[in-house]
Amino acid sequence: MTQNTTSRVEPPTRHATGPDRPDDGTPVHRPGPRGCLTLGDTVALPVRRISVVTAIVLVLLLVATAVATLSLGSLGIPVSGLLDAFGGDAGVKESFVLERLRGPRLVVGIGVGAALGVSGALFQSVTRNPLGSPDIIGLNAGAGAGAALAALLLAGSVPVPVGAVLGAAGAMALVYVSTGAGFRSRGRLVVAGIGVAAIANAITQYVVYAVERDKATALNAYIHGSLSTRDWGDAVTIWVIVTLLVPLVALVSRPLAVGEMGDDLAGALGAHPARTKTIAVTLSIVLSAGAVSVAGPIAFISLTAPQIAKRVTRGTGPHLTLAALVGALLMAVADLAAQQLPWFDELPVGIYTMAVGGVYLGYLLIREWRRGTL
Amino acid sequence: MTTVTSTHTPSGGARTSRGARAARRALVLAGGLVVLLLACAASLVYGSSHTTFGDVVDVLRGTADSNVTTIVESRYPRTAIGVLAGLCLAVAGSLMQGVTRNPLAEPGLLGINAGASASVVTATAFLGASGSTATMWWALPGALLAGVLVHALGSAGTSTNLVRLVLAGAVLSAVLTAYVQAVTLSKPQVFDSYRYWVVGALSGRDFDVFFSVLPFAVGGFLLAVLLGPSLNALALGNDTASALGSRPGLVRGAGLVSATLLSAAATAAVGPVAFVGLAVPHVVRALIGVDFRLQIVFSAIAGPALLLLADVVGRIVLRPQELMVGVVTAFIGAPALLYAVRRMKGAS
Repeated sequence: MTQNTTSRVEPPTRHATGPDRPDDGTPVHRPGPRGCLTLGDTVALPVRRISVVTAIVLVLLLVATAVATLSLGSLGIPVSGLLDAFGGDAGVKESFVLERLRGPRLVVGIGVGAALGVSGALFQSVTRNPLGSPDIIGLNAGAGAGAALAALLLAGSVPVPVGAVLGAAGAMALVYVSTGAGFRSRGRLVVAGIGVAAIANAITQYVVYAVERDKATALNAYIHGSLSTRDWGDAVTIWVIVTLLVPLVALVSRPLAVGEMGDDLAGALGAHPARTKTIAVTLSIVLSAGAVSVAGPIAFISLTAPQIAKRVTRGTGPHLTLAALVGALLMAVADLAAQQLPWFDELPVGIYTMAVGGVYLGYLLIREWRRGTL
Repeated sequence: MTTVTSTHTPSGGARTSRGARAARRALVLAGGLVVLLLACAASLVYGSSHTTFGDVVDVLRGTADSNVTTIVESRYPRTAIGVLAGLCLAVAGSLMQGVTRNPLAEPGLLGINAGASASVVTATAFLGASGSTATMWWALPGALLAGVLVHALGSAGTSTNLVRLVLAGAVLSAVLTAYVQAVTLSKPQVFDSYRYWVVGALSGRDFDVFFSVLPFAVGGFLLAVLLGPSLNALALGNDTASALGSRPGLVRGAGLVSATLLSAAATAAVGPVAFVGLAVPHVVRALIGVDFRLQIVFSAIAGPALLLLADVVGRIVLRPQELMVGVVTAFIGAPALLYAVRRMKGAS
């Protein structure tokens, strides 16, 4: 960017897109801040171009995956018939597949993936630690135990999502207390999370075996996470939670990005790091718990989605939108694999995410160790 | 060497006289044996059918009626396997914590149990292996491979890092567990009898299982006992151990071989049971200090007692159903992990 010397007079915001520009020696002159989505004169959201491009690509991939989910396989609706089916103009088989079999499952999967992705992004930002994500530190397992308790032992008296929230909060409290240093100590956080997850899984197994020992599907859903036999009620649950919390998450996004520079600096810049963290952790817990209450403790989506979003855009800050999109895409692809792969017959989707996410976690660990940051 | 270690023993109070400490240790060992005997008795008394302690005594003297005799005798193999597996897991945990100088080392946490399970499941599903002896032979390479892999991952670089090892174990366990679950869920007819094995359970085993893993357990245990003095030297650090005439590399290798033998034997017998190997050595150290010779012997008493008691609890809480012992040990052992985390230093 040698031409920067000739255009010093420009406002400093110009290098928001500076490095992406071709080196053709023709500086672009344009009034106003660059790289912003503007709405009249009052609103200007700073957006990096790569983030927008990535988001569009992700949405397209998500649509493609959704079409594949609905149309592949012997019960699939052919692509040409999809629009008719959406218009209500379809045969009995098509409407059954769309309304009962695969439609709810797809919608639940996308909602769960988005919720897990955002939840992971929030938590990783608060702990400033890629491993400090809800599935590593026992939050999802705790939510699963709470959901299992509420659904199977206390059926009727406590709604399942409330049970999941209580379980997740309990697990986080236990992790917080047993690390002795809050969420700050990286190593202790992870190991305490493994212990808490083990306790939570033991509770889940106890409950499932105490009540529904013969029902293999219930067991799969509560232990591994599964999307089979989800209905529109589940879809409503997760999407209401996501829709209600998204504005709050958007509000906390900027202060969190500031907080990633360290508590002292964030405080000096006028943010309230402690308050921001409390809000972010609470939101993260509710989002994870919502996802777990409809789909069970799905492994590794909240770990991988924010990390992938970060890798692609190479930016700072929590990347909440992209994390949500990546999470939704991962979940949709994993469920497509669970439905269509020929090797295993209808495995719970959580087993696929566990296998792929485990390999990714291994890669992440090796990378961190090379850098000496863990 | 022994004088060096005993004067460096940090617990037990440096001013306690040698005789008082020996008396205390003897007391603790005797107490452990009593608890183990009670646990064995409880394992024979409690179950889905009601029997009393008197019934068990009658059966042992041969004066009970045939009905009661059948019920109680059906609990013999279960109790024997519980003792053997508990011993293996606890001693393996002790060894690994000594060899890696890592208070979090444990066969379950470090992926060794998961490796053994994955190997056994592969052999059963795809290679047609069946029967407890074949299972045993397949558990060994899986356990060994997983152990080596986790240590290679965890100690890449200069020194072995506690958190790295645990994380590497968690990663390997996650991937292997996904694989094991995928195979067992997709071939339910093959794995009908293995469904409980995958979680870790003492039920449904007979004496064949016991006798086929016995040689491995005995071999591993003898090696562990032989290694005790060298582990004491190793606890002082590599340099001091070398200066004292010990060979750290050899001791480490032998320790890991022994730990792998023991955990493969336990996993083949009862499935992957986590946290016994973590919790028992911590309790043992708190009770009798850091001398590895004593730690190994006492672990061999406390491990079986813990596993049998966990099994008895699992039989009682859901009567007439049973909770698998692996679930109960997680309840007991995971708090031990949290306790160890709180005491961890320099891992932030």
